[in-house]
Amino acid sequence: MVWDWKYALDILPGLLEVAPVTILATLGAFAVALILGLGLAFARRSTNRLLSGVTHAVVEFIRSTPPFVQLFFLFFVMPQFGVTMSALMTGILGLGIHYSTFLSEVYRAGIDSVEKGQWEAATALNFTPRQKWMRIILPQAIRPIIPVMGNYLITLFKETPMLLGITVVEMLSQAQIIGSQSFRYTEPVTLVGIFFLVLSYGASLLVKRLEIRLNVHR
Amino acid sequence: MSGSEVIERPDTEAPIEGKEPIVRFEKISKSFGELDVLKEVDLDLYPGERVAIIGPSGSGKTTMARLLMTLEEPTDGYIEVDGRQLWHKEVNGELVKANEKHLHEVRGDIGMVFQHFHLFPHMTVLKNLMEAPIKVKGQTKAKAREEALAMLEKVGMVDFADQYPARLSGGQQQRVAIARALVMHPKVMLFDEPTSALDPETVGEVLEVIKEIAKDREMAMMLITHEMSFARDIADRIAFFDEGKIQEQGPPAKLLNNPETERLGEFLNRFGIDGNHG
Repeated sequence: MVWDWKYALDILPGLLEVAPVTILATLGAFAVALILGLGLAFARRSTNRLLSGVTHAVVEFIRSTPPFVQLFFLFFVMPQFGVTMSALMTGILGLGIHYSTFLSEVYRAGIDSVEKGQWEAATALNFTPRQKWMRIILPQAIRPIIPVMGNYLITLFKETPMLLGITVVEMLSQAQIIGSQSFRYTEPVTLVGIFFLVLSYGASLLVKRLEIRLNVHR
Repeated sequence: MSGSEVIERPDTEAPIEGKEPIVRFEKISKSFGELDVLKEVDLDLYPGERVAIIGPSGSGKTTMARLLMTLEEPTDGYIEVDGRQLWHKEVNGELVKANEKHLHEVRGDIGMVFQHFHLFPHMTVLKNLMEAPIKVKGQTKAKAREEALAMLEKVGMVDFADQYPARLSGGQQQRVAIARALVMHPKVMLFDEPTSALDPETVGEVLEVIKEIAKDREMAMMLITHEMSFARDIADRIAFFDEGKIQEQGPPAKLLNNPETERLGEFLNRFGIDGNHG
C-alpha cells in the first residue's frame, strides 16, 4: 500500500477536529494530577501515621497497576455502584489520578530539597504554617521540579490514545473511524503519529528552555 | 514556677533596676535521646540587656536559643517571655502544652539570626525584609518598604536591595539577615554564632553591625559566640556553659579576668586569654 497525499489531505481536517479532545484530556488530567498530587504529598508527609501509611499504600497500589485497567474500572465497573460520568470525564479523572501518584513523589522530592534552615528562618519570622508553605517552602520546592513536571505532562499527553478503550473519540479513535470507512489506515494512523511527534517534541523544547531560565537565579 | 519567689538579680552591667525579666528560663532541660544537652538551666534576661553565651561546642548554648525560638521543644522546665509562658498555656488553672496558635502569639517577641543566615533565596534582599512585616504583622506595602530600606541603610546594604541573596558574600548575607530580623522589632534578639560560618575577612563587618544595633537599649540580646573579644566589648554579662549547665556567669571583666571555676579557666586558655590580661 502506498501513501496517498490527496487522501491524507482530505482526512486531515476530520482528524484535527478532535485534536481539542486530546488536548483537553491532557490538560484536564494534568490539572487533576497537579492538585491531587500535592494533596497526596502533604498526606504522605503528615505526622499522623495512619494518614501517611494509608496514603503510601494507595499511591503504591495506583502506581503499580496499569492505567488502562484503572480506566476500565472507572468506566465499566463504577456505574454498577451508581457512579456514572461521561467517557471524557472518566478519562480525565482516571489519567489524572494515575499521574497524581507520580507527581506526589516529584513534589516530595522538591519539598525535601528545601533546606531545614528555610523552615527555621520562617518560624523565626513567625509566619503561620500556611504562610510558610505558600510563601517560603513551595516556591522553592516547585522551582527545581518544573522540568520533571513538564516531562510528565508530555508522557501523559502520549498516553491519551488509551482513552479510545473507554469510547472517548480522541485522535487515534478518530483515525480508526476514518480508516474503517475506506479501509485505508496508513494515512490516518501515520498522521496521528506525526501529530503527537510534533507536539511532544515542541513541548520538550519548551521544557528545555524553561530549565535553562530557571537556573539563572541559582 | 514563676512569680512566687523573689527574683534574684544577676550580676550584670546592664541597668536593670526595677525591671522584670523579659525572658526567664526555669529549670530548662533538653535531651536528644540518651544525650542530656541541657540540665535544669535557670537564666533570666532583662529588657535591653546583652548577654553573651560562651562555652565549648556541645555545651548546650545553641540549644538555649533554639528552645526560645521554638525551633526545639524543651524536655522539661518552663520558658517565660514578657510574663507569658512560651511552651505552655493555662487551661483551667493548669499549664498544658502550648499549641501552634499560642506559640505564634508569644514567638512574635523573639527574633533570631542564624549561623548560616537562611535568607530566602527566591526573593530579592528587599523582599526578604518586606515579606514578614506584610504577611505576619499586616503592615502596608509602602510602610514595609520604607522601613526595610531604612534598615538596609543601617546595616550598609541598601545598594543591594534588588539583588538575590546568592549574589552576596557571606558577610553581606548575614547583614541582610540581621536587618530582616530587626524589621520585626523583637523584644529579644538571638544571635546564634553569627560569624562562625563567615570568611575571616567578613567577620569584622558583621560584628560592627551588631555593635551598632546594641547601642540602643530597646532590645535584649542573647549572643552565642566564640568571639571572646567581641563578647567582652559588647556584653553586660557573660554566661559560661559547659556540660549542659551554666558553670559561671557575671560581667565580662570579672568573668574573663578572674574565672572562678577551673573549667572556665581552661576554656579561656584555649582562646589565649590567660586570665590576667585586660
